[in-house]
Order: sequence, then structure tokens, then C-alpha cells
Amino acid sequence: MTKTILCVDDSASMRQTIKLTLAISGYRIVEAIDGLDGLEKAKSHTVDLVITDLNMPRLDGFGLINELRTLPAFKGVPIMFVTTESDPAKRAQAKAVGATAWITKPFAPDHLLKMVRRLLG
Amino acid sequence: MSVVQMEPVEIFRQEAEELFAQLEAALLDLEGSPQDKETIASAFRALHTIKGSGAMFGFDAVAKFTHHVETVFDRVRSGEVLVSPGLIGVTLTAKDHMRRLIEAPDQVAPGVGDAILAELRRVIADSGQGAPVGRPDPAQLKPAQATNAPAVSPQSQPSSPSAAGFRIRFALPNNALVIGTNPVLMIRELLDLGEGRVKGDASAVPALDIIDPEHCYLRWEVTLTTSQPAEAIEDVFLFVRDESDLSIEPVSEPLGQEPAPIFALAAPPPGVGDGSHPTARPPVEPDPQPESARKAPPVAKAQPAGVVKVNAERIDSLMDQVGELVIAQSRLKQLAHSGEELSLLALRAIAEEMERLVAELRDTTMGIRMVPIGSLFTRFRRVVRDLSRELGKEVQLVTQGEETELDKTVVESLNDPLVHLIRNAVDHGVESAAERLAAGKPAEGTVLLTAAHVGGQVLITVSDDGKGLDRPRIKSKAEERGLIAAGADPTDAELFDLIFHPGFSTAGSVTSVSGRGVGMDVVKKTIDGLRGTIDVSSKPGAGSRMTLRLPLTLAIIDGLMVRIGDGRYIVPLTAVDEIVELEEADDGQSAANNFLYIRDELVPFLRLRDLFSLSGDPPPYEKVVIVSAGERRVGLVVDQMLGDHQTVIKSLSRMHADVKCFSGATILGDGRVALILDIIHLIDFGQSREERLRTP
Amino acid sequence: MSEARKPETGKPETLQSLTIGLAGEVFAIPVMVVRDILDPLPVTAVPTARQFVNGLINVRGRVVPLVDLRLKLGLPPAETTKDSRFVVIETDIDGENVIVALRTDKVYEVGDVEFVDGEEAPRIGMRWNPELLHGIGRRNNRFIMILDLGRVFASIEPTDF
Repeated sequence: MTKTILCVDDSASMRQTIKLTLAISGYRIVEAIDGLDGLEKAKSHTVDLVITDLNMPRLDGFGLINELRTLPAFKGVPIMFVTTESDPAKRAQAKAVGATAWITKPFAPDHLLKMVRRLLG
Repeated sequence: MSVVQMEPVEIFRQEAEELFAQLEAALLDLEGSPQDKETIASAFRALHTIKGSGAMFGFDAVAKFTHHVETVFDRVRSGEVLVSPGLIGVTLTAKDHMRRLIEAPDQVAPGVGDAILAELRRVIADSGQGAPVGRPDPAQLKPAQATNAPAVSPQSQPSSPSAAGFRIRFALPNNALVIGTNPVLMIRELLDLGEGRVKGDASAVPALDIIDPEHCYLRWEVTLTTSQPAEAIEDVFLFVRDESDLSIEPVSEPLGQEPAPIFALAAPPPGVGDGSHPTARPPVEPDPQPESARKAPPVAKAQPAGVVKVNAERIDSLMDQVGELVIAQSRLKQLAHSGEELSLLALRAIAEEMERLVAELRDTTMGIRMVPIGSLFTRFRRVVRDLSRELGKEVQLVTQGEETELDKTVVESLNDPLVHLIRNAVDHGVESAAERLAAGKPAEGTVLLTAAHVGGQVLITVSDDGKGLDRPRIKSKAEERGLIAAGADPTDAELFDLIFHPGFSTAGSVTSVSGRGVGMDVVKKTIDGLRGTIDVSSKPGAGSRMTLRLPLTLAIIDGLMVRIGDGRYIVPLTAVDEIVELEEADDGQSAANNFLYIRDELVPFLRLRDLFSLSGDPPPYEKVVIVSAGERRVGLVVDQMLGDHQTVIKSLSRMHADVKCFSGATILGDGRVALILDIIHLIDFGQSREERLRTP
Repeated sequence: MSEARKPETGKPETLQSLTIGLAGEVFAIPVMVVRDILDPLPVTAVPTARQFVNGLINVRGRVVPLVDLRLKLGLPPAETTKDSRFVVIETDIDGENVIVALRTDKVYEVGDVEFVDGEEAPRIGMRWNPELLHGIGRRNNRFIMILDLGRVFASIEPTDF
């Protein structure tokens, strides 16, 4: 079964990078351009992993994770946030709202892949 | 974009094709230079990746088989085993086997792989380097054994002297499963670091009636032997370290004192950690059908269907063009909503812009289909090698122009005809070593395979230095078959053309090599189907040459764009040697002779402005593009250099069939047409014109 | 131009035509072969090509030769004016599909052109090589030369400088 990853980022180039990295390794990617779009896509797709940016217009990463964790379908679905922030406090906050993992920008594609595999196998 | 949506299995198939080609090329190279470290490394890497990727995409049989071959080449790499002809031979066979395992696993007879491995073991033993192949498991190498090898074949990592033991105990935070942390994956990652045993501790699981199904009650203990540092273990717990109850302690004899493993974990049960019922099925429960977790790959297709490897630059230009198109489209939208009275001129400008962009986009997209023919050429080395051995001849294959790009479908369709022509050359063309020596030729015959862009065409030749076509025999056969009247006197071209006639076969005895139903008529039909032509030329005793011309409605070359007057022209970059300024002094001295001194070499030059009868005066400082065509080096005087240009070749219409100086045209970024210079014809034209001028 | 037939029974037949102006004369070409009518585009000169076909234009990404029929018909060469149009036609020459653009001074209209008997207008046809004409037609009481493009192009040999 192809695993589906929801990729939420307001930067198209970032989405493209993530998409190319993961799609080439066999994951199916659903793209969303911000938190709200991400929430909509999350409701309309079966998602195995969410990769989300932190700072986004309309609904930020924290807000998105908060919303997702209230959805029954997202119980147990790993959520990884990708951010340029390396502030430990932000990480703690992300964990508090239910993030599973994080990755810091910029990242090597291999590293992203490794982290995704760690979450999805 | 299909690039992104490709199925991983398809990617693997394509990748495997390339790796097999790499492996084969390396092996054939090793025949000549068995000690070359780079080549050995290349073979090893190919094997390594085939094994790794094979396992990743479910080709377990391939991975398992390749593992043993890889192990041998690891030892070759370390100098422990020497490359021998026997090793090359059996590895080539092994390569064919791997390929069959991927392409048509159903058709692989049981035991074949084991027999190959046994042979591999034998050639290594023969060469006096007796250690067995596939270090761990001699049982698997018995030829008679069925292919149903043990379900889990642990990769035999030689324990490094620095290997250390760790005992890792951990419990995850209560909400770990809710937030999607997967303990099975973490344990598997730990086991990837070395060899280990896993013990689950379910003592904290409460009675069923009070159980919280989302709660993670289990604890684990992993005993690990690894050469990795403790940091690597900590890294596994990167995301949960803070909240987890984690201890990592070094142990001296990690595995010896432990009981049998609870389960091997090589094939984790499906569904675990999928989030639905995290604790309904504890991860440490042994999977009753570990093999079922690794499904066989989907039924193999014979061909790696429709996968094209695309140059990143082409993707980039595709992206650029889409970007420009989006901008043009938004300008159009803006114009439509501006509320102002529509300016027809502005609208037309955008329409033209979009038209241009779409045309470019189309060309770039079609360009994606272009692949170098070299991928095909490498396959033929093996054809020549195997066939010449079979026939007891000495034949080398020389290839030129591997980088020549053709449409992918054309390249694929060319495989069979070229194989046939090459086999013919080896079988009927090249003589035996004795005959050759008697004829004063080197014992080793040569089959030359070339490809080149010539004008709007791709020219492919297959030639040999053998005995040439047997004219009398072809003639008598043609008479016998009623293809020509008895006693007729056809020209060579007419006569040789008859070998493409259906059913015409010249081989006195039908050998197993060439006489199997596929005749030259089929070759001709295939080339016709590609709207190409095939010509034969032959000289008794000197060899024959087959020339295939394939018209290209589209080909891409790197070009140098130059300006002469107000016209822009493309010079194929492959022909360009250098660019020099036409110094007035030089010009003054040598103008009468139209010669240029370049580093003491006398180079004739042609003024394209004059040759093309263009009006207007040349600029004060003209440039000379020094081009070479075969033996000739000639300067082309132009007004200005405009830079590199990726040139999509468009054929000229038959209305311009008489125009020899240009091989085609291309459309520039601004939508204008530029002509592509045909260097050879241009030089001929210039020289014949000069001769005419000199002899009025 | 097999779709058009000269009258064989004396009964008038018509041809759906595009009428174009060349050096003051009116010619008709079958609508069937017309692909496009374009405003003049930038023309790339083709050095060493024959005079009447010494240009190339870009028609929607396709490189198309530009033909000046006048030179073929023995008229003075074209000059570009505000009425000038390029008429792109697609036709078979010796069984091969060919796309060319024709320089015209003016494009009049699309409509039925009625074939007339040779006897009715013998004088007008004399000026032209009858080989290049499909026949003489009449529209709005004006005589029009109906070009046989197949023959016009088929007569163009590489040696035909």
C-alpha cells in the first residue's frame, strides 16, 4: 500500500522539495498551501503522515496539529513539523499539542527520508 | 508530472536496468584490466544497490541472490579474491539471472540460482582462493536445494572487532501511540544497527476491563551487538527521549547469555502501529506468517514500461516555461478584468506570448523523450562477446557517438535491428582469425558502431572489417529467386539492396546465429516504420557497412548562436573548436588568401556574409568560429557571438531540399526562426564557390 | 485538388475558394487546403535558397517555408503592405504532405467560384502557364485564375533556379 503524506507548507518550493524527495521514495503526496487548506485536505484524504510547516498564513502549524488531534481519524497518525525554528520551547509546544517529530530546515533530503521512514516504516 | 507519480517498483525496474548495464560494462572492462580498482568498485556498487533497492521494493529473491555475489565482489574489492575470466563469466551469468528474477520470476527454474552460486564458489576455489562464497551459509549453495530458502536470512555482518554490546530498556510516554509514534519501527531501527534480541515486557498491561486502548503499557528490552556508538542508539529515540523512560547500558557479552530471541523482527507484522488499535495486538507478538508481510512484487512486466530518465536541466526549463506561462496567463486575466476598454494590441501581444510559450513547452516536453543512444550500445558489447566466443572468432566492438540523442521509442525500436546487423557482421562479416591472418589482417576483427546527428537526421552505422558481401553469391541467389533477370548486370547498390528482400538469406548454411527467421527484411521493415532508410556498402576483402538514416522531426543539440547581418544562425557546438577575433592586421595580410594564422597553423576561413550574399557592411570587429569537420578545420566569419543555445532541430521542408548549407532550423525564444548550419556542406559549398571564383 | 472537378458536361460547377490578390490579379485557391490566414510575421531569410521560397516563418512552433507565388507566376516580387497576409496551406505534393505559407497582397473572401468554359475567357488564360491553373473561374462577374497548387509545387524541382 502506498502511504499518503499530507504536506502542508505555504512555500511552493518547500512543498516541491518535500514532494520530490518523498515521491521518489514511493510515497503519495497530498499538498496543502496553509493550515486551513491542510485541515480540509486532511478531512478529505486518508493520510498516513502529516508534514507541516510551523509559520503559515491563516492557520499555523500549532493550530493545525491542535485541530487534527481532535479528529478521530488522526488518532495515532504521526505528525512531523518542519520548521526553521530550532527553539526548544517551540518544540516542546509542538509536542504538547500532539506533534510526533520535528525536522529543522534546511534539511538534507536523506535526513527527511530517514525521519519519515522512522515514522512510517 | 509523471516523474513524481512514478511507481517505486517502476523506478526500481529502470534503476535495475541501468545497474545491470553498469555491472555488465564493468565486467567486460575487467576482462581487459582485471585489476582496475575503479571498475571493481563500480561492479560492487551496482551489486550493492541492486541488493539494497531490490529488498526495498520487494524483490527478495533478487536481493538474496545478489547478496552472495556482492559478498564475493566485496572480497575482490579488498584484494582477497582476484578477478579471473571464470569469475567474469559466472558473474555475467549471475547478472542475467538477476535480471530474469526481476523481469520474469515465474520463468526462472528452481535451482538455477543455486547452481550459479555453486559455480561462483567453484571458480573462486579454482583460482586458489578457497574461501567459500557467501560466507555464512554453505547449505544455500548446494545446487540441488530448492529456492525456498529460509524466510528470514539475516544479513551476515562480519562482526567488527570494535563491536560493542548494549542493553537498551525503554518505555514510551503514555500518549506515544496516539501521537503516532511506532515502537515497532523504533525496534527495527535499533536492530538495523547490528544484531540484537528483543524482549517485550507486558507486566504493566492491566486487566482487560480497565484497559485504555490508546495507552502504551508495554516496555521493551533490546540487547544489541553493534559497532555503532551509543549516540546512534540515542538517535533512534530522538523524538521521545525527553518523555521516555530510557536506559542504555553497555554489556560485555550481549548475546551469549540471552535466551532464544522472542522473535526475529525481520518481518514486522502488518497493521501494527497503524493507529487503529494500538494495543489490541502487542507489537512483540510473533507474527504467524512472517513471509506474508513481504508480498511478492506485482506481476512483472516484460519491459520497463514508459519510464524516461530526465535530465534535471530539462525539468528546470519546463518549470521556467510553466512559470512564464502562469505570468502570461495572469496578465491576460488582469487585462480581462481591468475594466478599461480592451486594447486589441495588448491582447494580441499576450496571445502571441502564450502561443510562443506553449510551443516552447511542447518542444521541451517532447525533448524529455530524448535519450542518448549509448544505453543501447552498451548492450551490444555483450552480444559481440558472447557470439564471437560461440563462433570461435576474435571480435571487438568499437562504439562512437553514444551521447547522440534520439526519441526514446526510436531507441527502443532500434534494438532488434541493430542486434541483427551486429550479429550478421560478426557471423558473416568478420572472418576466423586464421582466415584474417592469411589475408594479412589482424587476427581480431572490428565491428564499428557509430551514431551521430547529421542535419535533421540521425545517422547510425554498423560496419565491419571482414570479408565484405559475397557479390557473386548474392547475384546467383537473386537470379535463382527470380529477383533479377538471369544475366542482368545490376550495380552494387541495386544488388545489395536485394538482401532486404523478404526471404532472402545468403548464408550457405543456416547457422544458429543468424538464420532464425528474423531476416534483413524485418530489419528493413522496422527502419521503414521509423521513416528511415538503410543502405549497404561493401568492398570485397575490406568489409561492409550498413548505414541507417533516421529522420528526426525533433532532436535537440547544443548550439552556438551567432549573428550575421540581422540573421541569427546556430552552429552545432560539437563542431566548434574555438572562437577567435578577426584581427584587422591578420585580415589585411591574409585577406587575399582568406587564411588565418592560429598558433602557427594556417586555417582557411569563409566569410558567411559573402557566402550568404547578405547586404550591409560587416562590423569593425568580426569573430571567427573555428569549426572542424573530419580532417578539415575552417574558420567561419560572423558578426557577433550570441551564446549557447539549446536547439530543438526542426527539419527543413522539401521545398528547401536543394538548400545544403543548413541542416535544419529552430525556433528561438522570441519566436523567430534561426537556421542551423550544416558544417560539412557549408565548407564544401564555400570551397566550390571559391574554386569557381578562381577559375572564371 | 481532386475535390474540384472541371466541368465535363458543360454544366457549371463551383469550387469553395479563398480569393487572394497577387500583383493586382485575383487568384483562387481551394478552401480545403487553407489552414490559416496570418498577418505578416518576421521572416527568416534562407541564404542560397531559390528566390521564390527564400524565407521561413514560425507558424505556431512549426517552421514553414514562405513562398512568393508571384515569382513562380512571372510577376514582380512581393512588397509588404498593410493588406499583406500570409496564407498557410497544407497540400499533397507527390503524395507527401507539405505545409507552406503563401505571400499574398490581399485576402478577399471565401466563397464559391464558378468554373467557366475555356472558350468564354480564352484571352485571360493565355497570360499564364495553363499547367499551373486548375481553370478559369468567375465570381461576381470577374474572371479568376484557379490555381492548381499541386502542379505549382510539383513543378518546383531543386534544379529550378
